[in-house]
Amino acid sequence: MAAFSDSSDKVGSGTPKAELPGELQYIQYQHSLESQYLPSIRALISKDLSEPYSIYVYRYFLYQWGHLCFMALNPVDSSLIGVVICKLEMHASHSTPTLRGYIAMLAVCAQYRGHGVATTLVKMAIDVMANRNADEIVLETEETNIPAMRLYERLGFLRSKKLHRYYLNGNSAYRLVLLLKPTDVDATTDLGPDDEGPP
Amino acid sequence: MDFGISNPNPGPYFDAFEEPPPPVISSEGVVVTDITEKFRAAAATLEPGELVKDAYFTLFESVGALEVMDPKMDSGCLAPGESLDDDYDVTRQLLPAEVIGIIDQLLSLEMAWHLGYPLSQTLFTSVYVEKMLHPAPETLQGADFIRDRTDEFPRDPMHAALRAYCLGLLKSCYYVNERIKNEHSYEEEDFVTNPYNRSLLETIDRYEIRDEIMEARKIIHDISHTLTDELAHALGFRLELRSAFLRAIELSELRSDPESLSLPWSQMQGVWEVVNKTRHLGKPVPEAFSTKIQRRLASTMPPRPIVQPSAEETHEHFKKLIADGINVLNVLHYSDSQSLLNFVLTFQAQKPQPMVYIRAILQNFLFNDMVILGRLSIRQVLDDDLSIVVLPSSLLLDRDNDSVEAPHHPRYAIAHQMELFRQRAAQSYLDIFRTFCQNRCRVRRTLFHSLQDWEMVQADAEEIDQLLQLQTEEKPITYPPLGGVPSHSLPLSSWAYHYKLRLMEWTVQLGFELEIYQPDELAGMYWYLSHLSHTRVLHLERIRFFTAQRLEPPGAASSSKTRPAAPSPELTRSKSYLYLAHLEAAATSELADALSQLYTALLRLRLLAPSPRPYSTDALRYEVRMKPFAPIGLPALPSFEAFAHAVERPEASTAALLDGAARAAGRARATLEGLVKMGAAEVFAVGCVERWRAGVREWNKAAIAVVLAVGVVKRVVDEVGEGGVGVGERLSVQVPRPEEGYHEWWVVPKVVEK
Repeated sequence: MAAFSDSSDKVGSGTPKAELPGELQYIQYQHSLESQYLPSIRALISKDLSEPYSIYVYRYFLYQWGHLCFMALNPVDSSLIGVVICKLEMHASHSTPTLRGYIAMLAVCAQYRGHGVATTLVKMAIDVMANRNADEIVLETEETNIPAMRLYERLGFLRSKKLHRYYLNGNSAYRLVLLLKPTDVDATTDLGPDDEGPP
Repeated sequence: MDFGISNPNPGPYFDAFEEPPPPVISSEGVVVTDITEKFRAAAATLEPGELVKDAYFTLFESVGALEVMDPKMDSGCLAPGESLDDDYDVTRQLLPAEVIGIIDQLLSLEMAWHLGYPLSQTLFTSVYVEKMLHPAPETLQGADFIRDRTDEFPRDPMHAALRAYCLGLLKSCYYVNERIKNEHSYEEEDFVTNPYNRSLLETIDRYEIRDEIMEARKIIHDISHTLTDELAHALGFRLELRSAFLRAIELSELRSDPESLSLPWSQMQGVWEVVNKTRHLGKPVPEAFSTKIQRRLASTMPPRPIVQPSAEETHEHFKKLIADGINVLNVLHYSDSQSLLNFVLTFQAQKPQPMVYIRAILQNFLFNDMVILGRLSIRQVLDDDLSIVVLPSSLLLDRDNDSVEAPHHPRYAIAHQMELFRQRAAQSYLDIFRTFCQNRCRVRRTLFHSLQDWEMVQADAEEIDQLLQLQTEEKPITYPPLGGVPSHSLPLSSWAYHYKLRLMEWTVQLGFELEIYQPDELAGMYWYLSHLSHTRVLHLERIRFFTAQRLEPPGAASSSKTRPAAPSPELTRSKSYLYLAHLEAAATSELADALSQLYTALLRLRLLAPSPRPYSTDALRYEVRMKPFAPIGLPALPSFEAFAHAVERPEASTAALLDGAARAAGRARATLEGLVKMGAAEVFAVGCVERWRAGVREWNKAAIAVVLAVGVVKRVVDEVGEGGVGVGERLSVQVPRPEEGYHEWWVVPKVVEK
């Protein structure tokens, strides 16, 4: 989805970033945390978006796949520094259905970028999806978001497709794919649809 | 019809602090049950945040959810004190400079629409446009932003000019929209055809509008003494632009003589220059544009910002639109099927790619009413292509076969089998042209599917080949002549295989152009491209051999005492094509091989370093990358181990790799320099030879750049030795983005000595 605002400093070392406030806490989301964290999750993710997602979209993910959502918290006051939101379900439009993980949203507070917070969050999400037997993990990211693509590519994702004018701002996207298990190539001839959902 | 959320007259509107009136719950013939209390009771049992949905409610649908009273989602939500509409008065007097300012802003918005932004954020933000279109005018006279005028008073000249401009603008938008809707494109991605329940003057006659524009030009001319000449001209040219565009659109529907069709486009070209040079005369009227109008449109979206390219961007895009509009007409000069394909390929490969409207015109020229370019049957073009590639002067394509009525006659069977083949292959063949009319991302993605389609075309063609060879009593010939096995010519499946290989090559090449591959994948992808092109080289040699065996069997000339008959023009043309295709495929294979070797050397020297990638393996990534090719039977995708071995070339020293790269790039260069000198007919680029040659020149520059890059690396490797110790301190390597190189399909690393 469109929401990815974790970009490490694009202008190099010109503007000093804030040091991390100590060892961050990384915790798995659960429904009981909704009133405490959902408002800041929304605020963090919609910060750079012209078109915010409705509360329903967040709940769509968090209520069904809260266990695939991880938060990075400030050890001082437990405030939200970063979050990753995912889903994992059978993708049936292939002739061989696959269990497909989808990284829907990833965001880190601007002042704490460049410390690997997003990478840690994504790795936690991949680990839990892999443990749940995911065949593959996919996502879309904006063509101009080089730091995001680097982050995912360093972990093993490949660009599989470019999606023309995928976002409302007119920018294109890349579909990134991380294959976790080999598939039976003879069984899969259907290349499947391209879109996980609208941006 | 629109109901409910897409009501064309949405409302009523409430502000956040006002209690909405109760809904009307009685209606004739409908039994109404008030469920408010039941609903409240049921809702009270839910925890906040609990999700209510059925099992089939998708993410896509959930994204469509709105939050009522959130100003970014709820189109009816107004901030406290905010008014629903702006109170811009369209009847107010306008200065000539203001009319120019409004028109120039409309030009920018029109261009934004062409570029893919919706009318709601572009032209429909104009108060004048809105007032003209809504309520929908029924007559020309009613089509005015000032309604209920009495005819006693003539229009104010400035209002008349702006009105005539808007009439021409909206009518041309109507035709553009219809053309795009009739052809293949991707809504939202390429272009938004949604008119939000407004009619773009559909019912008003184009000639009436043309006359109205003429009349307005006359009015401006008549009062030019009260304006400055400059202003009068500026207004006059803007009106002329509209009438020329309408005429250009009208003529492009005709598919007749390109020279006459190009006249209004050429006129636009001249007029546009003047319009652009007089933009400074305009006085902007920003209050005549408002995002609030979006609330009146049939849309659930809250108002979104106006999208307006700058004057410079508008100028560049209009210039390009007009130039492409002229250029696209040349496709109507049909010479042969391969020139037609080259026209489409080179036209669409332009950077920036022609706009959606131009691409829709091209599709209309190509396919409208199943008549190619307005005068050729699909069979004519397909047979032309078969004749060029595999069947020159062949009995199989003889039109006389159709008139044989004796069912046992071989020609009767041939006609029947060929017709079956055409029915099988025509759509796939035409789809190649249609595919390349899409945006570049879509071309690549569509090719994934075409590959599988052509895999089946090839298999079906082979069956028909086998039936045909019985009718023609073709004898098998040993191929390759040395060490081969007896084999038939299999012309139809050979033709299909040739296209399938081209589609595979294009798929890989578009991956370079669209920056799909990471730098450490380039060695492998260029190896695969080289492998595909080399396969095509061998296939072309086979086609050439069997064509020669059929039409110029060895010994035929020498055994005869008489002079051999001159080859038929068809045979000459086919030989010429096979020669060209062979050169192109060989140059592709050589340069791809050179780049593969160079990138492998750079990886070995650690001048390109892959990331650790803890969640992936090389084999899994190979599977993702090669997924489109995995189902193809011939040429079969190599196993990962075979691929890795072929790319890494462990048996070759790094110096040998670099020498190999230099030689291969040198051979590509020699071939390309020869290609540039050949004539339009020889290279099957009639009607597009300049674009074709420019492409080959850029390709050749890339080959030269490879030679130079290899030279730099080789010199340092020779100095530091095979182990490459210390190379990193001597050299830096950067993989440029495709548009920074000479040619998008040839990503040549920039190697610099530090």
